[in-house]
Amino acid sequence: MTNSLLFGISIFVYFFAMVLYVSYLAFRSEMLGKAASLSMLGGVVVETAALGMRWYESYQLGIGRAPLTNLYESLAFFAWTIALIYLVLERKFKIRTVGAFVAPFPFLIMAYASLNPNDIQPLVPALKSNWLIAHVVTCFVGYAAFAVSFGVSFLYLLKAGSEKRSPKSAGSFWDFLPSSSALDEIGYKTIAIGFPLLTIGIVTGAFWANVAWGTYWSWDPKETWSLIVWLIYAAYLHARITRGWRGKRAAILSIAGFAATIFCYLGVNLILSGLHSYGGAS
Amino acid sequence: MSADEPVKTAKTDGTDWIERIWNFFTSLKLVVFLLLMLAALSIAGTVIEQNKPLQEYYRFYQPGTVALFSRLGLFDMYHSWWFVACLSLLALNIAACTMDRYRGIMAGMRKKNLVIDEKLSKSLQNLTTIRYALPLDVVEKKVAALAGKGFPGKPVVTQAEDGGRHYFFEKGKYSRLSFFVTHLSILIIFLGAISGSFFGYKGYVNIFEGETVSQVETRAGRIQYLDFQVKCNTFNAEFYPSGAPMDYRSDLSILQNGKEVIRKTIRVNDPLTFEGVTFYQSSYGGQPDQAAIDVVNRDGALIGTVTAPFGGKVDIPGVADQMEAADYQEHFPMSDGADGGRAVGVNIYPVTGSPVGLWLLVNHPEYDKQRGGDTYFRVRDLKLKKYTGLQVNRDPGEILVWLGSILLIAGIMIAFFMSHKKLWISLRTDKKGRSELTIGGTANKNRDAYAKEMEQMIQSLKEVS
Ligand code: HEM
Repeated sequence: MTNSLLFGISIFVYFFAMVLYVSYLAFRSEMLGKAASLSMLGGVVVETAALGMRWYESYQLGIGRAPLTNLYESLAFFAWTIALIYLVLERKFKIRTVGAFVAPFPFLIMAYASLNPNDIQPLVPALKSNWLIAHVVTCFVGYAAFAVSFGVSFLYLLKAGSEKRSPKSAGSFWDFLPSSSALDEIGYKTIAIGFPLLTIGIVTGAFWANVAWGTYWSWDPKETWSLIVWLIYAAYLHARITRGWRGKRAAILSIAGFAATIFCYLGVNLILSGLHSYGGAS
Repeated sequence: MSADEPVKTAKTDGTDWIERIWNFFTSLKLVVFLLLMLAALSIAGTVIEQNKPLQEYYRFYQPGTVALFSRLGLFDMYHSWWFVACLSLLALNIAACTMDRYRGIMAGMRKKNLVIDEKLSKSLQNLTTIRYALPLDVVEKKVAALAGKGFPGKPVVTQAEDGGRHYFFEKGKYSRLSFFVTHLSILIIFLGAISGSFFGYKGYVNIFEGETVSQVETRAGRIQYLDFQVKCNTFNAEFYPSGAPMDYRSDLSILQNGKEVIRKTIRVNDPLTFEGVTFYQSSYGGQPDQAAIDVVNRDGALIGTVTAPFGGKVDIPGVADQMEAADYQEHFPMSDGADGGRAVGVNIYPVTGSPVGLWLLVNHPEYDKQRGGDTYFRVRDLKLKKYTGLQVNRDPGEILVWLGSILLIAGIMIAFFMSHKKLWISLRTDKKGRSELTIGGTANKNRDAYAKEMEQMIQSLKEVS
């Protein structure tokens, strides 16, 4: 199937992008930086084609559904949104140095996805809903923004540490990174993009659950973990309003928030579903 | 406590503790603490399975642990007193915060300064003075088209004593209300959830094809009567070739005083609502109605066929015994654990002696042969009565939950993506007779972006000639 081939190619392109982003940070060459962004864009283009192809092929199989409904497809879509949203934010906030910390995600996620069965299955009745697309897309774009914020916060911690040790070091590696206050601000702005989207994702999920099963909230592990993620970022937003909570503590909350995000997305299915009967991908 | 009471200024010793409590409830530290606390507590309920029968917990944990967890409410933790207490504290916190900020926000929306004076100019960003060699009225005409670009409303114009004029533009004033909208929406969602659990119910009912019900059993085990009747006309399940379910649908009618008022085919993701009660396609099943059973000689010769209604004895041809179809299983477990498929349980009543119970498998006609004896039975035909399983909900709080959710999303969007922007422009003739323009602005949020906007406007104003 063409879509599998294209997905396979995208793994290589993402790998290439990751290597280039890390080299850009190591060698501080503008050329490498441009190449890194371009190959990330290349990965997005190939994967867009793969997703489109998969959608089209599902129609050819007489199934006809958006490619968002099993673990393989959701991983692929997750990698795609992270790469795309990262590129958008890289342009908007001029943060190419963050790429070294974000670019590994599309590659690792796609590599992991390729270990999962990827045949196109028809949908069970509960998944046949237009709310599915609204729910999955908003959640994942939100998660992708959090991934970028994670990279920025990580870089913040490195940079703030170096600024403390040696306040002035013109021309050094550290000088190459954005200032810590700029990173702090961008970390906030990316969360300010992710938080409304996650909120919409949770609300559309609740609405869908209500239409399908007659309960908008049943405290199942997936729902509860999405609430945990939401609470952590809500705490982050309020912590930043209080003076003294910007900077390091905010960065740590942002990293904790992304850890919870990854757990909400993968951990719940992989770890908790071992204990519980539910799970599955959505 | 009303927001109009000047709590913060009450300095007498007697009210000091009130002030302290108030400060505690309005502090951002408490919010951060509560939000993180709720997040941490919630994890427990995702690791320990919730609301299972007690015996299941004994399979996983030591009896002592089960007793402890049960005492702590960890098996239904989202309804435990401590979790609810945290949520209530959050609600109090939000209510107090909203009152505390009420006046500040209202004050921020008032048009206070229409003119750049000394005090105001200290707080303005991009404060710039531009001088032109043109007469004031010419400048004013040219500037009018440029200034306030991006401000949709008309400016407030104030005539100055020195013959100059002051322009005041503003935009997004009401975005200041996003604070209320966001925070109150959470209280509205809480209110909806609480009223749903007090005044609503969740129930369940099975309806056989062609039958009508007017009551359901709630999760709490009560019988809930409906003001109308629900009839299941037909139920259908479709499957993919792989055996995975494709579609479940029930053709339902709502009857009032014996007359049909609504008819709708419901499916998963497409329920039916009538008078606040919603019916969701949830499960389905069958119950046998009548079985046709062959009586076969050991050598394979058919002796006769019994038509056995469920729960009624009939004579078996060729012998004096009687037979009753008494039980049914959708998935009969074979001795090797495999799924034997549909099975009918029959009782044989011999003329003398006690009755014998045996299972006949629809898909394995020769199964009964293993029993030995001269004759055996096999199922020729099985008529099933299908039923649809419906979840039935009444939730008067739901509308509040959705209203709150929409307000929450709107409030957050406004808080993040809009701000209250103000712009002041003053025009006068300076001592040397040149025209002088002073411009400055403020925004309550996202000042960097506003500064960029203003820079562009200032640039275009500088180019006026
Ligand atoms: C689950 C509960 C809550 C949620 C989801 C929530 C959400 C938000 C959001 C989205 C913002 C906008 C953030 C920004 O502009 O940077 C905000 C701001 C704020 N919140 Fe909350 N909030 C919650 C609870 C509270 C509580 C209990 C308080 C009381 C102390 C509070 C106090 C504030 C304050 C003071 C601001 C800043 C408003 C401003 O910028 O003018 N929040 N909140």
